[in-house]
Amino acid sequence: MLSAQERAQVAQVWDLIAGHEASFGAELLLRLFTVYPSTKSYFKHLGFCPDETQLLTHGQRMLEAVGVAVQHMDNLRAALSPLADLHAQVLRVDPSNFPLLIQCFQVVLASHLQGEFTVEMQAAWDKFLTGVAVVLTEKYR
Amino acid sequence: MVHFSAEEKTAVTSLWGKVNVEEAGGEALGRLLVVYPWTQRFFDNFGNLSSASAIMGNPKVKAHGKKVLTSFGDAIKNMDNLKGAFAKLSELHCDKLHVDPENFRLLGNVLVIILASHFGKEFTPSVQAAWQKLVAGVATALAHKYH
Repeated sequence: MLSAQERAQVAQVWDLIAGHEASFGAELLLRLFTVYPSTKSYFKHLGFCPDETQLLTHGQRMLEAVGVAVQHMDNLRAALSPLADLHAQVLRVDPSNFPLLIQCFQVVLASHLQGEFTVEMQAAWDKFLTGVAVVLTEKYR
Repeated sequence: MVHFSAEEKTAVTSLWGKVNVEEAGGEALGRLLVVYPWTQRFFDNFGNLSSASAIMGNPKVKAHGKKVLTSFGDAIKNMDNLKGAFAKLSELHCDKLHVDPENFRLLGNVLVIILASHFGKEFTPSVQAAWQKLVAGVATALAHKYH
């Protein structure tokens, strides 16, 4: 699904995130909750105003999963199978929320990379994250 | 009717004042056409759209992007009445251009990403929220007259 160039773009951007999963993840969640408050309905356990520690902890978990996806771009289904089960059986996040998360992810990347966030990076990451979302919701029914 | 608070209006107008509409317009439209290639369906007569660099450098893309974003600037002057401000353009996009309104949402999201890249840290979550609300309002206003 991803071309060789697209995979290279994804990996290149990941190199800039690796090691900062917690802070990027926290910012991602903060943006998600601020811009799309309805998404907080899936995070009742974090309360109405999640504090920094909670955002860092959960954000790190999410970004580490993205890291797994980056390492297995050619076999997302197998690598993300346990997460797909979790989303289908336990979390059951409505699929319409994934584009919201992806938008916030792109904004995080763009605001940190600024001029270095090329159109090719944006295209590759949008395609990659959309593919991850497809895999995570594939077992829903 | 979408209502913008004073803070939201400030978040929008203060950033807009620093935007180079010509450049940002071309970039927004270009990125839309690259990231979501199916949107090229509306631009068969734009010439070379065969690669990312062809699209981003295409003079027709830049010119049209500037036109679109200039019109967006009108939205910012009329945040309290987006539907009224875009009524004519809505009719045009439905009756003449036949553009699926989903494309307005895609372009709005791309614009937000571009603003994030230009403004960096200044593009805080609350600033993003104000802008996402605006682009959603514009998209809705542009779809309002569809029949």
